[in-house]
Amino acid sequence: MAEFSDSLSILSSGMRSQGQRLRHIAENIANEDTPGYRRKTIEFRAHVEDGRRTGAIETGPVRLERGELPKIHDPAHPMADAEGYHEGSNVELLTEMADAREAQRSYEANLKMFEQVRRMSSQLLDILKR
Amino acid sequence: MDLSAITAGLGGMSAPKKNPATEAVAGFADMLRQAEMQGTAAMTGGADPHALVTAMAEGKLAVDTVVAVRDRVVEAYQEIMRMQV
Repeated sequence: MAEFSDSLSILSSGMRSQGQRLRHIAENIANEDTPGYRRKTIEFRAHVEDGRRTGAIETGPVRLERGELPKIHDPAHPMADAEGYHEGSNVELLTEMADAREAQRSYEANLKMFEQVRRMSSQLLDILKR
Repeated sequence: MDLSAITAGLGGMSAPKKNPATEAVAGFADMLRQAEMQGTAAMTGGADPHALVTAMAEGKLAVDTVVAVRDRVVEAYQEIMRMQV
């Protein structure tokens, strides 16, 4: 039964990673109007234990997206410079929504596999019950 | 068929030599303890729900396995007891 329980823990690591990704997307969307905010992304990488890959996934460090911050003209803003411009955030709602949908789909795939593994193991045990 | 070895494994951990059934039962107890710990942690807050679900699913799988094996063992025992001597 080790295969089944290994599959379950690998799948739950996938779900945990997608949850983490969604957490950063939420942060990005919440800070869309924060002046000077840079979009955060996380990378996924293989989980390594004792120098060997376990097959599970984990999330890497948070990265800030480089690139020009947009200049917003608003002389009334407290952070505006002499010309009346201040820096906005480089979050784009459309990108975040697409990213969130991708995380959701991936989560669903992991969940479906979880169900599948559970069903397979109970089918195997049903043989013993007869 | 060595029924006594299996029932000894199910009964307790006091078997004198290494018994595969004993080890299996010890692993089973470990898995249940894990599930229980995760459940407690989830109730008191601060636990990862994914870990909880995984531990519970694994615990259910382990319990189902042990119950199925036990049913088979008891059935075999009763079959022998019913035998005409």
